[in-house]
Amino acid sequence: MRARGGEAVTGACFKGHAFADRENRVKVVMLACASVAILAILLIFLFIFRESLPSIRELGVKNLFFSTDWRPNVADPKAGHYGMLTFIWGTLLTTFGAMLISTPLGIGAAVFIDQVAPDSMARVVRRGIELLAGIPSVVIGWFGLILLVPAIARVTGTSGYGVAAASLVLVVMALPTITTLSAETLKSLPAELKEASVAMGATRWQTIYKVLLPSAREGLLIAVILGMGRAIGETMAVQMVIGNARAFAVSPFARTSTLTTRIVTDTGEASGIFRSALFAQALVLLLIAMVLIILIRVISRKREAA
Amino acid sequence: MKGSRADKAATVVFWALGLVTIALLAFIIIEILARGFLTAINPKFFLGKPEAIKAGGGIFPMIISSLYLAALTILISLPIAIGAAIYMAEYAKKGRLNNFIRFCLDSLATLPSIVFGLFGLALFVIYFRWSYCLLAGAFTLAILNLPILLRSTEEAIKLVPNTYREASMCLGASRWTTIRQVVIPTALPGIMTSTILPIGRIMGESAAIVYTTGLFIRNIPISPFDTAAPLAGYIWYAQSEALVPDYRQIVNGGAALLLIIVFAIYFLARWAGNRYQQTKLLGPKMK
Repeated sequence: MRARGGEAVTGACFKGHAFADRENRVKVVMLACASVAILAILLIFLFIFRESLPSIRELGVKNLFFSTDWRPNVADPKAGHYGMLTFIWGTLLTTFGAMLISTPLGIGAAVFIDQVAPDSMARVVRRGIELLAGIPSVVIGWFGLILLVPAIARVTGTSGYGVAAASLVLVVMALPTITTLSAETLKSLPAELKEASVAMGATRWQTIYKVLLPSAREGLLIAVILGMGRAIGETMAVQMVIGNARAFAVSPFARTSTLTTRIVTDTGEASGIFRSALFAQALVLLLIAMVLIILIRVISRKREAA
Repeated sequence: MKGSRADKAATVVFWALGLVTIALLAFIIIEILARGFLTAINPKFFLGKPEAIKAGGGIFPMIISSLYLAALTILISLPIAIGAAIYMAEYAKKGRLNNFIRFCLDSLATLPSIVFGLFGLALFVIYFRWSYCLLAGAFTLAILNLPILLRSTEEAIKLVPNTYREASMCLGASRWTTIRQVVIPTALPGIMTSTILPIGRIMGESAAIVYTTGLFIRNIPISPFDTAAPLAGYIWYAQSEALVPDYRQIVNGGAALLLIIVFAIYFLARWAGNRYQQTKLLGPKMK
């Protein structure tokens, strides 16, 4: 690491001094600051788990996580049914729909920025993507509500609310993540790869398709997974357009709910075991996020090994 | 030739994909501003008091809530982020502990904001009995923003050339003296610049704060323990649950105003970043 030599010298000089003592104290304070991240994750786990425990205990894993029967009772929480499978399915369905569009669009835009566009145009697109990432989710939700929902309603003859509208809104949320990270990955590829391919007489498209994209495979996968994480976790924008029904969605134009939208819709009025069941949904989101993070770690380790 | 025709087609497709992203952005901005810009810049609206059931309410307390919340959040998270960044950049050695801290930071960066919101509700609002208040929201957002703030602070610290550290240590300064007298002052403009962007994110965040700071108020919050209603949360509340008849106009105006604020912060951050880089290229001013 940096200044290792300097550390050895000063360390020797100040041994036995009051300075050495102070140095250690400072280091402990800095370490404590860094440990806040560990503490935060532990506390989040602890409190989400603690609050969801009553519902797990009373309803059992099967009735809580693997049942589609969601009939909460606000007045008498104990009398309700709190199966969340419908919403897990809703989360998977909307995320899948969003990734179907945002993956090719995001990677395509990244290739455009890195390989195809002239410098000035690449800068415009890059800035645009950054701005897109900065738009608050309530604004995107409102945009979806006043434009997408009526448009879908007109075309399909349904209410317009539902999985399709939610997926389209999520494309806007996931796109910046996928594009930015994919562009970074492409940029980090060694220039020799492209040069060798072009020298062999390959066209730009052949170079992109046969050389660059396969070499960037792991990085692109990480970009898509992180985009997926954003789509799974997005709350307000989806809540505004998905219709917030309790029904299990089969059609893309059916109103339903996701884990996040159920939590934000119901937390205000829920108490007792009803609220605990909502915390159990947050626990599922927490576990999904952890799985994604571990997946990314495994992929990036594989990339480093290669 | 078959190859060149495919190449031309691919070029057209990539241009189209690149332009679609720009068109999407332009479309969203134009639609939101066209509907709400006139309301947003109307003093009656942005300086007015909100109404609970009557039409014609303003959003002044919500704007104040957002600013207050952002200030509190930065106040809480910046010292921690700077301390942690110094540890990661100057002290940490490669190893299990360092790896674990990075893992926790990555996890914090990936967790959905609604999970932070429920955590804040469980710990600050219920367990600490603070009820819905600015401070509960600020602590929640401080944790949410820690990974971004830490990373940008760490990058600013790493930009300080190693020769500065070596020069300081050659003069007999201890490690902490070097950090305090040389590294931090040199990195400070960079650190300040890198806090601007997270402020935009705090102002736009809604899922983490609706159940920690509150959803509706009529008066300006004074104490950190007062219930507040940041603009982003209020926009959601107004469109989904509020009883005012003119909620459409409020949401149109609020969304436009929020978009303007967030973009203004983005361009301020860019401008400050560019300025900082220019002064760095010309060489930092020595005292």
